[in-house]
Amino acid sequence: MEKKLEVKNLVISFRTSNGKVQAVRNISFDLAKGETLAIVGESGSGKSVTSKAILGILAGNSIIEGGEIIYDGKDLLKISEEDFHRIRGDKIAMIFQDPMSSLNPIVKIGRQLTEAMILKNKARRKECRKNFNSYLKLLEQNMIEASAKGDAAKIAALKQKCKDFDKFEYKHIELEAEYNKARESAVEAVSELENLVFELEKKFDKNLKDRISDVVKLAKNSCHTYLVKKDAPHLNRLASELPKLAASEKDTKNYQKTIAAMNEMLPILRAALALEQPNFFALGYYETFANAAVPEKPIGELNVFMHKYLDDNFMLAFIDDAKKALIYSAEKSYQAKERVVKFLEGKRAVFLREHLDKKECEEARKLCAKEVAETIDHMEIRKDNLAYTFGTGLRSEIDKYFNGIRKNEKEKKRYEKQKAKYDALVAKGKDPDWQVVPASYTDLELTKTNIVMQIDRLIAHYKEILAAKETRDFSAETVAVIDYLKENASGVVEKVTKRLAKERAIKLMEEVGIPEPRTRYNQYPFEFSGGMRQRIVIAIALAANPDILICDEPTTALDVTIQAQILELINRLKKQRNISVIFITHDLGVVANMADRVAVMYAGKIVEYGTAQDIFYEAAHPYTWALLSSMPDLDTSEKLDAIPGTPPNMIFPPKGDAFAARNKYALKIDFEKAPPMFKISDTHYAATWLLHPDAPKVEPPKIVTARIERMKNRREAEDGR
Amino acid sequence: MEDKRDEVLLKVEHLCQYFKMGKSELKAVDDVSFDIKKGEVFGLVGESGCGKTTTGRSIIKLYNITSGDIYFKGIRIGAGIRSYQNAIAEKRAEYREKIKNASGDAATKLKRELDDFVAEQKAAIKAAKHDQKNCDKMYAEKRVKEVKAKYEPMIASASAAQKERLQREYQNELRKAKRTKLVTQIQMIFQDPIASLDPRLTVREIISEGLIIQGERDKEVIDKKVYEMLELVGLVREHASRYPHEFSGGQRQRIGVARSIIMNPEMIIADEPVSALDVSVQAQVINLLNELRDKFGLTILFVAHDLSVVKYFSDRIGVMYFGKLVELAPSDELFLNPLHPYTKSLLSAIPLPDPIYEKQRVRIVYNPLAEHDYSVDKPTLREIKPGHFIQCNEAEFKKYLKELK
Repeated sequence: MEKKLEVKNLVISFRTSNGKVQAVRNISFDLAKGETLAIVGESGSGKSVTSKAILGILAGNSIIEGGEIIYDGKDLLKISEEDFHRIRGDKIAMIFQDPMSSLNPIVKIGRQLTEAMILKNKARRKECRKNFNSYLKLLEQNMIEASAKGDAAKIAALKQKCKDFDKFEYKHIELEAEYNKARESAVEAVSELENLVFELEKKFDKNLKDRISDVVKLAKNSCHTYLVKKDAPHLNRLASELPKLAASEKDTKNYQKTIAAMNEMLPILRAALALEQPNFFALGYYETFANAAVPEKPIGELNVFMHKYLDDNFMLAFIDDAKKALIYSAEKSYQAKERVVKFLEGKRAVFLREHLDKKECEEARKLCAKEVAETIDHMEIRKDNLAYTFGTGLRSEIDKYFNGIRKNEKEKKRYEKQKAKYDALVAKGKDPDWQVVPASYTDLELTKTNIVMQIDRLIAHYKEILAAKETRDFSAETVAVIDYLKENASGVVEKVTKRLAKERAIKLMEEVGIPEPRTRYNQYPFEFSGGMRQRIVIAIALAANPDILICDEPTTALDVTIQAQILELINRLKKQRNISVIFITHDLGVVANMADRVAVMYAGKIVEYGTAQDIFYEAAHPYTWALLSSMPDLDTSEKLDAIPGTPPNMIFPPKGDAFAARNKYALKIDFEKAPPMFKISDTHYAATWLLHPDAPKVEPPKIVTARIERMKNRREAEDGR
Repeated sequence: MEDKRDEVLLKVEHLCQYFKMGKSELKAVDDVSFDIKKGEVFGLVGESGCGKTTTGRSIIKLYNITSGDIYFKGIRIGAGIRSYQNAIAEKRAEYREKIKNASGDAATKLKRELDDFVAEQKAAIKAAKHDQKNCDKMYAEKRVKEVKAKYEPMIASASAAQKERLQREYQNELRKAKRTKLVTQIQMIFQDPIASLDPRLTVREIISEGLIIQGERDKEVIDKKVYEMLELVGLVREHASRYPHEFSGGQRQRIGVARSIIMNPEMIIADEPVSALDVSVQAQVINLLNELRDKFGLTILFVAHDLSVVKYFSDRIGVMYFGKLVELAPSDELFLNPLHPYTKSLLSAIPLPDPIYEKQRVRIVYNPLAEHDYSVDKPTLREIKPGHFIQCNEAEFKKYLKELK
């Protein structure tokens, strides 16, 4: 299965005035496409911190000590905030625990739903313009370098080609913008007409005059050469008659004629919207350079004709040149890559020494970063993130190493001083009411391996690319380049207006099951019940069509029936849109319904990891047993097995297994050494010494085994029936 | 113990609690009746907004109830007047027609009848108002009498040396008796352990506040009691001087429990005490409540929406839907034989820690308009089986009876 997200060896701590709290201690998991992963644990076990790290919204006092979160080939811990803007909300969205506090109480629901759509669209238009201009320039430059070889006439010809491309692209944008505007009006006119018909049938005519004049304007605006052309006069006539009709029927409140006129208008507009979109790209060329009127043809035929015209006159030659440019650029990059692989393999030794030398490392880093920067092929549309982030990543790791040396010394001094003070007090026979804050050192060895890993990963990556050199399809890539330019040009004029955003928002509200979305759109959050509010939060999260949905206790604040509805909704949306879900909760009952796989977290570590069946029927870790036995179900009558005590203070993480102090099955070794992950089956892992071959055989608590037995019996009874 | 179990501690009759909402009224609780026996845990479930918390708050007199009576230990502690007013209005309308049609002697007779009825109802209103206002006062007077009866002969017969000590004790007791309120024997544990504790008071101050209001002035006695309570709920003495923010959620809820049991209540209203807590902490608090119940024979009204917890904890369960009590039964009976469609829908929504079963679980949707036809025959709470009550009309009653078999 395709992996969407991978978290590897993530370590996060928080600086507080009392010391460093180790919130997440070395956790790894992955998430496949269309899968639900549940993270279960008590509050303070680090589950929310993990999810916030994925979304890049950790609190200011957090320190990411190590590890990586890989999404779409990028390490989310290393990319810049600017890059994160493209991922957060767009690709990875979050549903928060408390629907009341995650909605703005003084802003209407509709505004909150559409706000992001409108803003993101504005940002995208700007970005598209920038991308288009810079890429065309790059293309021109590479074309000249690849084909002209210093020939002045040829340079001029290539330059002219790019200029032409730019010129007719501009026409394309103009035409498309005009068309978009008309089409938008048509969409709005249809929805408004539908509304009016619905309301007038129920004799509801508030603000009728204004609304009708609005519709008339919209209907007239939607007359466009490629939309409503033949029926345009008819539509215009109908629209002009509407206000009079409505006014004449206002007294009787019997709007039959108005409704009939509206019903006549609707099919015209609907048919127009169902029409094929003209190829504005080719049309733009024709209108700019053909010096002839656009022939009268149905849109389908017109598109074919235009496409051929463009190909014959301009495009084929242009593609040829572009392909040459691409090959030229790629070839240059390949050579640089081969060089860099050798270079890095040589420089690698610098970072392998026992003690790194600061000056030498800095120099090596600068050289490496420079060399790698040269290998980047800027013509590639899909950016190679590993190469792009190499320089900054290496630098932060090296800085961390040398800062770590300094900090470790300081920390050692502090620790010794404090310890001496403490010991002196104890020697005097006093019982100090404070503890010595344990020394927290930066793991230098780990940092060193991280540095080398960075280099190794890039080398491996480049070797892979070089090996695949022969099979690369430049023709396809050239087409992709043209499409990219076209897309960006269209993006410049693809405007989401308030009305359009409203239509989308209302569709979303319908999708998440809010009745009467049109009235609800104009209400404030306090007018919604808890479940409805949570639906709105889900709708906002879905607005950008994300790949990954992080649900941070979405139902904890809701009651059983509403909880069941929200869970059903999340499950349904997951199936429909094939999104991956990370589901964070402390309620194991909810997990059984939702999760494909479950990770149980305790004190910042994953203690057990497996499919839902593994966790519920064959739980192996005492903490999972404890969680299972502390929740009553409908047949529980004995005393609940509450977990005694509270989670450990993570400023002073216990030596050995963090759960040992609360664990009645704890072995002696649990207090001394932290257990590794033991493999139980291909999907099921648990970190407990009980799984060690030498460990005594321990049965799970009776309350758990009895429940599993009971569940099995019930299932069998039901199957038998 | 058997006879004690049957003693009714709290009796709620036709309780209505309406809130004004502009011109209209919101019927938060509408005609709810039940009684709670001594030493029993009575669970109240339903979705949010169905009026279960309001019921709890009305009982403890945080609201002035609109209509109905609440009896605690046989004494009426809360009474509303709306039902009497409605009765008067109805009777008047009914008699107006009759008087119009009747003539002479018959009319005067009818008029007298009506006047009698109105006077009777007005007396009831007066009594209700009096009880609502003065139940605490009367209870305090009773207590004062008791104390007087206990100490006066003792002081009279005591020697000079003892007299002074007794006199002081007597004054102390008398002051406390004057301040006692009946309602303080019902205590409440609130849902949100963070919001229900004053962040500016230490734990000692929070727990002892009730005692001080009741007139206890002896610091030593207060401290002793506070420590005792802290240890009872699984905290330690040192915690007394700390502030609420220094505790975890479970510990805070324990403080809330300690605050309520220090008043030595006979009954506790636990308003979703575990909803805001983690699973493991939830179990701790439930176990604690269970222990306290065994130790003091507490009676608990347990309000919650988590059915598995309610089932585990309660002896009898009442299911509420939009201000009405739709089903009431012993907890095993309710889960074995759910009859009302809303109860069925609630039960079908409980998630269980069983993935295979969960994948197949189908939620039953409850739509009151589709389920019931109450246009002609209005529903009432009927006993379908000893101890099992259900809100239904005649036709439904027959249907449910069939289902029961």
